[in-house]
Amino acid sequence: MFDLSGRVVLVTGSSRGIGRAIALELGRAGSDVVVHHRANAARAEEVRAELSRIGVQSLTVAGDVAHPEEVARFVRAAGEWKGRLDGVVTSAGIYRGDATPDVGPNDFQSVLRTDLEGTFRTVQAALPFLKKSVRPAIVTVSSVMGAHAGIGGVAYQAAKAGVEQATRALALELAPRIRVNSVAPGFIRTDINRGGHEDPRFHAAIVAATPLGRWGEPDDVAPAVRYLLSLEADWVTGLVLGVDGGIPLR
Amino acid sequence: MNEIPRFAGKVALVTGGSRGIGRAIALALAAEGADVGLSYRKDAKGAREVVAAVEHLGRRAVAFASDAAQPDENEDLVQKTRAQLGRIEIVVANAGVPGPRGWEAVGVPAWRETLETNLVGAYSLVRAARPHFPPGGGSVTFVSSIAGLVAAPDLLPYAAAKAGMLSIARSLALALAPAIRVNAVAAGWVRTAMTAPLHEANGPREALRRGIPRGRWGEPDDVAAAVVFLASDMARFVTGETLVVDGGGSLRWTAGVEE
Repeated sequence: MFDLSGRVVLVTGSSRGIGRAIALELGRAGSDVVVHHRANAARAEEVRAELSRIGVQSLTVAGDVAHPEEVARFVRAAGEWKGRLDGVVTSAGIYRGDATPDVGPNDFQSVLRTDLEGTFRTVQAALPFLKKSVRPAIVTVSSVMGAHAGIGGVAYQAAKAGVEQATRALALELAPRIRVNSVAPGFIRTDINRGGHEDPRFHAAIVAATPLGRWGEPDDVAPAVRYLLSLEADWVTGLVLGVDGGIPLR
Repeated sequence: MNEIPRFAGKVALVTGGSRGIGRAIALALAAEGADVGLSYRKDAKGAREVVAAVEHLGRRAVAFASDAAQPDENEDLVQKTRAQLGRIEIVVANAGVPGPRGWEAVGVPAWRETLETNLVGAYSLVRAARPHFPPGGGSVTFVSSIAGLVAAPDLLPYAAAKAGMLSIARSLALALAPAIRVNAVAAGWVRTAMTAPLHEANGPREALRRGIPRGRWGEPDDVAAAVVFLASDMARFVTGETLVVDGGGSLRWTAGVEE
């Protein structure tokens, strides 16, 4: 079950962190993978090398999801590789945790443009290539903070809430053919929040607050994306699936 | 891909496993390597067929007549499954009854039967199974319904019971963490014997289908795949979640609005 053999999937922001884990998981499940990065060609090449070690075909594309014209260009390159996209995973994102008084004039917009509009523009640019797929599916990446408030990062939390509703709205608009779902990770040990998990007090606080008793790993999130992209999830659309160790339960 | 079966060496207990969604779950878990204990209330023939199908997949299976509404029967079911299959680390609380139609004249006995089978039964099953989980833990999955998420005056006690299941899934997820993960599936309109009066009649079948963005009724296998995901290591960081499997049917508030 959950075999992705023969499929072609674009994963944005997959040079590191959760996106990288997703790219590798999809590759292990049999998919061809387009690895995307903004400005980290060396890390993206490492992911590509790892994929080719396990016999997976891959392509690397680059561009800033905050700029629609760059999105249009790299998504077109991804789509033209095999002539279609069976899946798109919008994992590219940035995190800003500043308290409200410290949010500068362009900071709020910068987070929204990358995390929210970047997700939308990626989906928009991918539509012509998804329409060439027999069973197309999109997975966006939200956050536990998209529906459960945390301290800091108002723009980030608002952007992720936006991603969740965009997911549901797209699921309805793109039905019946294209499925659209989201994963909402909890606290995951990645570069994006290194400041958090490398701070012993914050690290311990998250462990204590998480019912499953640990930080998540990127590899914990990736299989949920695999499930949502698979044919076995053919009747799942508009879902936001929390992968958070139960942290909203407390 | 040649993967090791996901549930190799594991034992699953599925209530209401003789037909419909429960049958599909039992077979999907077995196809992924699990031995399966299942319960049924009345359909012994259906249960025997599921046992044979699981054995055909090369796994062991046992079936017991058991009423989900009776806590002592759930206790027995767990004991017998453990005795015959050796262990239990996957529990699927699927047994359910649709209860009475309508909301205007639901008597107390009908309320009780519906709540006791669907909701209290799910609880007493978990309570009975809890001491039997291995030290490494396991998973519980509740098969609930979108009736528990939306307004459903035609199925008032059923909807209340299914909403209750979503609630106790969250509470038990917290109570049983970190060893045992507890999640729920909220199924939409799935073609089973329970929904036969609807999907076998042209009018209701088409009306309901039009309300589903994916444009088709669900099949038991759609729900079973979600249960396999939640019960497996793929969902190792997922607990207290409700996985809606409904073709997008609960997304829109404009279901009755012509576009």
